[in-house]
Amino acid sequence: MDRRRFLQQAAIWSFSVPLVAHWPFSLPFSIDSVHAASEDTLRVKVGISKGKDYARLVRQSVGLVGGMSAFVKPGMNVVIKPNIAFDRSPEQAANTHPLVVRALAEMALEAGAAQVRIFDRTCNEPRRCYINSGIQPAIEAMANSKVRCEHIDNRKFVDTTIPQGRVLKRWEIYRDALEADCYINVPVAKHHGLARLTLGLKNSMGVLGGNRGRLHQRLDQNLADLATVIRPQLTVIDATRMLLRNGPSGGRLQDVRIENTVLASADPVAADACATLLFGRDPDQVGSTVAAAAMGLGTLQLNRIQRIEG
Amino acid sequence: MKKLPMPILLRSLSQLLFFLAFIVLFLRTDYQGQDELFGAVNLIFRIDPLVALAATLATRTFIALLLPALFVLLASLLLGRWFCGWVCPMGTLLDWSHPLLGRHNKPLPPALPRLRYLLLLLILVGALFGLPLVGFFDPFAILVRGLSMAVYPAFALAVEGLFTITYQHGPGWLNALSEPLYQALRASVLPFQQKVFTLALAAAAMLLTLFLLELIQRRFFCRNLCPLGALLGLAARCAPWRIANAQKTCSACGHCSTLCRTGAINEQSQVNPERCVLCLDCLSRCPQQNFRFGHLQNPPTPIAEGLSRRAFVGTALTGITVPFLFAIRPFKKQPNPKLIRPPGALAEAEFLGRCVRCGECMQVCIGNAIHPAFTEAGIEGLFTPRVIPRIGYCEYLCTLCGQVCPTGAIKRLPVEEKKTVVIGRAYIDRNRCLPFAQGVPCLVCEEHCPTPQKAIQYREATVLNNRGQTMTVKQPYVIGDRCIGCGICENKCPLPGRSAILVTSAGESRREVSQWQDGYG
Repeated sequence: MDRRRFLQQAAIWSFSVPLVAHWPFSLPFSIDSVHAASEDTLRVKVGISKGKDYARLVRQSVGLVGGMSAFVKPGMNVVIKPNIAFDRSPEQAANTHPLVVRALAEMALEAGAAQVRIFDRTCNEPRRCYINSGIQPAIEAMANSKVRCEHIDNRKFVDTTIPQGRVLKRWEIYRDALEADCYINVPVAKHHGLARLTLGLKNSMGVLGGNRGRLHQRLDQNLADLATVIRPQLTVIDATRMLLRNGPSGGRLQDVRIENTVLASADPVAADACATLLFGRDPDQVGSTVAAAAMGLGTLQLNRIQRIEG
Repeated sequence: MKKLPMPILLRSLSQLLFFLAFIVLFLRTDYQGQDELFGAVNLIFRIDPLVALAATLATRTFIALLLPALFVLLASLLLGRWFCGWVCPMGTLLDWSHPLLGRHNKPLPPALPRLRYLLLLLILVGALFGLPLVGFFDPFAILVRGLSMAVYPAFALAVEGLFTITYQHGPGWLNALSEPLYQALRASVLPFQQKVFTLALAAAAMLLTLFLLELIQRRFFCRNLCPLGALLGLAARCAPWRIANAQKTCSACGHCSTLCRTGAINEQSQVNPERCVLCLDCLSRCPQQNFRFGHLQNPPTPIAEGLSRRAFVGTALTGITVPFLFAIRPFKKQPNPKLIRPPGALAEAEFLGRCVRCGECMQVCIGNAIHPAFTEAGIEGLFTPRVIPRIGYCEYLCTLCGQVCPTGAIKRLPVEEKKTVVIGRAYIDRNRCLPFAQGVPCLVCEEHCPTPQKAIQYREATVLNNRGQTMTVKQPYVIGDRCIGCGICENKCPLPGRSAILVTSAGESRREVSQWQDGYG
């Protein structure tokens, strides 16, 4: 090592280590935090696009945060996790829009994915949800054997310990979600009685087994704990239509606002924070976003988020 | 293997084909990917003249759904009990079980076969006077109930268990073989979700009994008990096409009378058309080929098998009087709050008259919400459908139970109408509900409530939790007028054991009595 190299290294490390330490609650061996801090910018990117062509919106938003090839490498097993929780039609805004899911599947294939799996553990009867949400028909219309819209297979739930969990120490988690090379979380932005809003972090409950209702008793912290093990590489929030009242199941078109917006980010917390703004609320009004930020899982402060509108 | 004679081969083939058709319809009694089912999956009950007759007598209305039954009855007027020998899946199963159970022909009282006429009479008179019995003796009701409530779920559990072991513990090469097989089974014969049923054992025992009776006598049920067979046998009295013995050359060797599976041939080799199921065994097996099937110009006087006057009057009187005894129990005035009927169910009296207790609605229910009632509707309501929300809830936009009910006991509802049908109403047990009882957030019931304007609302309240801390929690409450009683709240309530939100039949749409008439006072 020559002198110049030594000085360079010394400068970088002395600059970056205090930054890492400054991150609230980040663990000393948390590789993600070190990695995030040594990026050229501290600002986290969230791509936001508006328009009526939903497939184009998805491409644009993901393009603004680096494009699908930044997340999906050739040969990867990709999981796309939309919200298919309710037996509702697309315009009722209780589930992710089928065109958004389909666009992501197509993009993953274009980036070279070996396999794309799409699933959700629903609240209503699974077959009715898959079909009436429009997601299963949209995926089947692709007629590509690499893309599969699958029903949950109960044999695949794995009892998983959550070492960093503060209140949630273990739960049954779906194997495909844990083993995916690239996990893309695709929530729909909507109202929720207890959580106020359900966005990306809440959408992760769709890969959980067991009696999920119990998680409501400390929902915010449980979701943050869960986010330490279910870590989407990419979060795409569908705000093409937003359910404003009577969520999360909805059912009345009066409660739906057409927003024609799609957000994308590699930072799950920042994505939720930006989606919260669409409802006219501050990001810190959604408890799970706050709890996850407090655990160092992403960025909540808007001045640290670079909202790229396209 | 010895070669089967042509007539028997044809009959066996017919039995096999009809049985396969029955199984296919049974398996298709499930959500098929659209709101409306394709095909008449309940056909087996709609061609049943006994069900048609009993339901018609009970409701005193013409039930168009049951029109196909007329064809079976007309065909029996021409051909006799061909249905029992060639079509009936219960009879087919009993025939198939015969080699397993062995040959038994115990001497039995000769009057025993008359029991089926007694049963038939009791069922029909009972139906007319309000004692619904057809579901307990109709062979298809016993069969489908046993299959849907017990055999099929148990079969599914066994197969799922096997493939769970291979998937979770098997080596890779095994899974390469077993997983495609498992997916193929899932797509064809396995149910989408594992179901449970409250009276699984009772339904299984009843079906098993029919097989055990084979140990006493071949086709014991068909000979002595089956009221449907009795009805078709009555029609067979005037059937011009039948099997008869050309008496002139008969040496009365007695081979045919021991051979006959329904005991239709007596010592003198005369064939009783009320018992003969046209299995054609005698045609092929008579050493002298003495039996013929054909059109008889002058049918010989049938071997009389009627009831004595005393038995007839006694049975009819039983059918007339028992319903009045049944009517003086309290729940006939004031319904059992735990008895939640499926959406579209008719008012209780008419419902009980029509319901065959066939289990079709339970087989098709995608939420596993519908279960056989035990005594909630009285003993005559045994096996009738009842929603138990803690086990399964009624899916908001699903109308399948009304689509498969063969007698219209559960009305077929358009989706828009179904949304407004009230099967019960929820109430909150504040002694258990977490935000009330412990100051802990929850609101799972509100999250799932499917009415577009939620029937479960919440208000914020500041309460002390169990540790004495002041907490602001959202406490749920039910808006009765919006609640339809689907029970998803009771089902999803995360408390262990009993739910903190419960549905009772209060406010159900099918009750015609207005609230100011309720009660005993």
